[in-house]
Amino acid sequence: MSFLAATAWSRGSVNALRGAGSHLQARSYAAKAKGVPVKQNTQGFKGGKGQKLTKKQKRLEAMRNNKSPGAFVPLPAAQLKHELFQSQRLDELTLPEFNAEDLTEGNAGKAMAFPLPENDAVRVFGVPRNVLLDFRILSKAASVVRDVTIKLVDRLQTASQESSQKNRLVLSGSAGCGKSFLLIQGVEYASSAGWLVMYIPRAIKLVNSSTPYSYDLHTRTYLQPIFAQQTLRRFRTVNEHALGSLVTEAKVDLPDGLSLPEGTPLPNLIDVGLKDQTSAPAVLAALLEALGKQTRIPVLLAVDDFQALFTKSAYKTPHFETIRAWHLSMPRLILDYASGRKTFARGAVVGALSLSDKTYGLSQELRHALGLQPWLQPSPYLKIAPEISSFTRGIQILKVPEKLNINEAASLFGVWNKNKSFHTPGSDEFFLAKYTESGGNPRDFVWKGLLSTLQT
Amino acid sequence: MLAALAIRRPLRAAIPLRRFATVSTPYVPPASLENVADAPPPRFRPPKKTKPESPSFYTSRASYYDHLYQLETALQRCRRALSVLGLLPLPTFARASLPPAQHLWRNRQSMTTMFSGALTTARYRRMIAVLADLEECSRVATVAGHDALAASIQPVLELFERHDKAEVLARAARKHVPLDRYGRSYTVGRRKESAARVWMIPVREQQQQQPVPANAAEAGDDLIAPVVDDAFAPSPDAPRVPVTTTTILVNNLPLNQFFATPTDRERVVRPLKLAGVLGAFNVFAIVRGGGTTGQAGALAHGIAQAIVAHVPEVDPILRKAKLMKRDPRMVERKKTGLAKARKRYTWVKR
Repeated sequence: MSFLAATAWSRGSVNALRGAGSHLQARSYAAKAKGVPVKQNTQGFKGGKGQKLTKKQKRLEAMRNNKSPGAFVPLPAAQLKHELFQSQRLDELTLPEFNAEDLTEGNAGKAMAFPLPENDAVRVFGVPRNVLLDFRILSKAASVVRDVTIKLVDRLQTASQESSQKNRLVLSGSAGCGKSFLLIQGVEYASSAGWLVMYIPRAIKLVNSSTPYSYDLHTRTYLQPIFAQQTLRRFRTVNEHALGSLVTEAKVDLPDGLSLPEGTPLPNLIDVGLKDQTSAPAVLAALLEALGKQTRIPVLLAVDDFQALFTKSAYKTPHFETIRAWHLSMPRLILDYASGRKTFARGAVVGALSLSDKTYGLSQELRHALGLQPWLQPSPYLKIAPEISSFTRGIQILKVPEKLNINEAASLFGVWNKNKSFHTPGSDEFFLAKYTESGGNPRDFVWKGLLSTLQT
Repeated sequence: MLAALAIRRPLRAAIPLRRFATVSTPYVPPASLENVADAPPPRFRPPKKTKPESPSFYTSRASYYDHLYQLETALQRCRRALSVLGLLPLPTFARASLPPAQHLWRNRQSMTTMFSGALTTARYRRMIAVLADLEECSRVATVAGHDALAASIQPVLELFERHDKAEVLARAARKHVPLDRYGRSYTVGRRKESAARVWMIPVREQQQQQPVPANAAEAGDDLIAPVVDDAFAPSPDAPRVPVTTTTILVNNLPLNQFFATPTDRERVVRPLKLAGVLGAFNVFAIVRGGGTTGQAGALAHGIAQAIVAHVPEVDPILRKAKLMKRDPRMVERKKTGLAKARKRYTWVKR
């Protein structure tokens, strides 16, 4: 560029900048403070009103004094109504609602959104970590109703009339096949069908020494009062409506000499545990016993990370021996119901195995005891604790299929596509390629396939 | 003397000439003296130069330059024709979709016999460049459907092509992969130190279609609220398209269990995607040797060859995508005096 051209350009740009600078300062958040003396134009004569300004000087003066905003005025964001500017806006996912009546075979393969009212089980009890991530990223918590969902729902329907002794289930399958999601669907079904629901989404928290513990001579287990109190609080919030009509059918003896007579409304029983943390474990046990005796409303006890209840916990005895999970009060309570030692007159106990965590993972002993992968026999030198065999006696396995079938995968694809989560238009070639790469595995299909690819 | 001059050349005699120091007569081009009356006699005129037949007369290799000139003229005319037809300049996407060139020109020694005198490498290369351009024009014309134009260029190109071109192309073609009695192909793919043995079989569509549930056809009260804004939602009358899926088993494990990284999985599925046969074939493979990415590359190579065995039309597409070629890159050996294949030891000044 020649020197002349360069100077002309720079002069023009300076003017533009000057103009732009004064225009930017026209915005409210960077407004010039009133009363600040305006810098006089050095070229101009510092004269009085009689001084005649050139056209250019007048224009600059006006811009400086915010009288005229200049040639270009940006449109306020609220006025950008054209579709071209709406690419990031997401209309809420319009999916049908998940409720008990619509879980029929005809609707298998359809995506449904969880309504999640204020006292919803999933909202109050929480969800496992990987499911939480899904729910946060999607604009609406949704899931796909699979064939195995219908199977579970049918099973729960029969269980609503039977004792939980006959309806103790464990959901098993390969990593990422949808066990946690299936359990949540079961919990939501039970909720909407009017059951009493107790859901423990992360049983690993019960055994990884995250809360205080104390040995109780009476029950000969290590009590976990904080968990018990938390569970009582959540259970009451979720099942407030149904609990109001229930009462205890026998006298309840609590520690510290406290006892509640027969016919105490269950909310009062729960209140005792909420007020006094040390009695919470006993209250919880009594509550479940009372619920087990009544026959009006079926009860669902759902536990994710079920395998953690059979591992060595992170707690230690005073002699620094590792405490097994079944010697802790909360896991012991769950295992009593899961093994059939204690029962609900109407209801079911459903557990879901999780293969994500390796510290509290599926042990060889539990795998052998549940009869999973029978071709993998544990070593004959491996000591299998008799408690593992006794707590798993009579538990039935519900195998979650490894693959989504094509319709289910298409619905899942549709949910994420409507959520505008893809970097590319969702074509059927994209769908089929990711389905093939993931082999139909739901977690791999969504997280390692659709959401983590740069391919189109 | 002046009298003789006055008779023979009266004009000259009339105008007296000045005497100059230069003795020789001024040069007059011979062509100017052709139709002049008092021109000097022919024996003083230099002999008339006959125009050579071709401008290449003045070059050292006339025959070569003749041919080259003719080829360049032909190329110019073809390009003009293609411009008129709107095929030149070709947009990038169209150029990328042209079938690949398969040149088999005669070698330098063979072409020497066509021209008198030895053909140097530089001249040979120049000739080949023009021929390649011509061949490209012919290819564009063929793909665009202008067979007449392509047919007019072909004889020119054939002059310079190898006599055994068809044989060589046949040899270079993939070894025919037979399908066994179940319709399976068996191919081997390799990459670095890995080898993959791939068996591929077409997927058979299910005979019976999924029965439409009864309640779907009846009153819509039982049904959940239809999703309105879904363009892909099937209408009740739409025929159900049976969608088949591809299952890939590697060492008897599903693809997602054998390859943990999405990149490796994408590498394996890429040939199926490019060929457009996702869902058409099932794959069973045994891989051995090397590491994860090498095994993924070997598997992709094997799958590409298997696809071509089942669907030969797809060969040019996979060739262009470099999936049919066994990647020749191998680990480079360590050299003496160097820390690794290329890494040198730290240079020390003293």
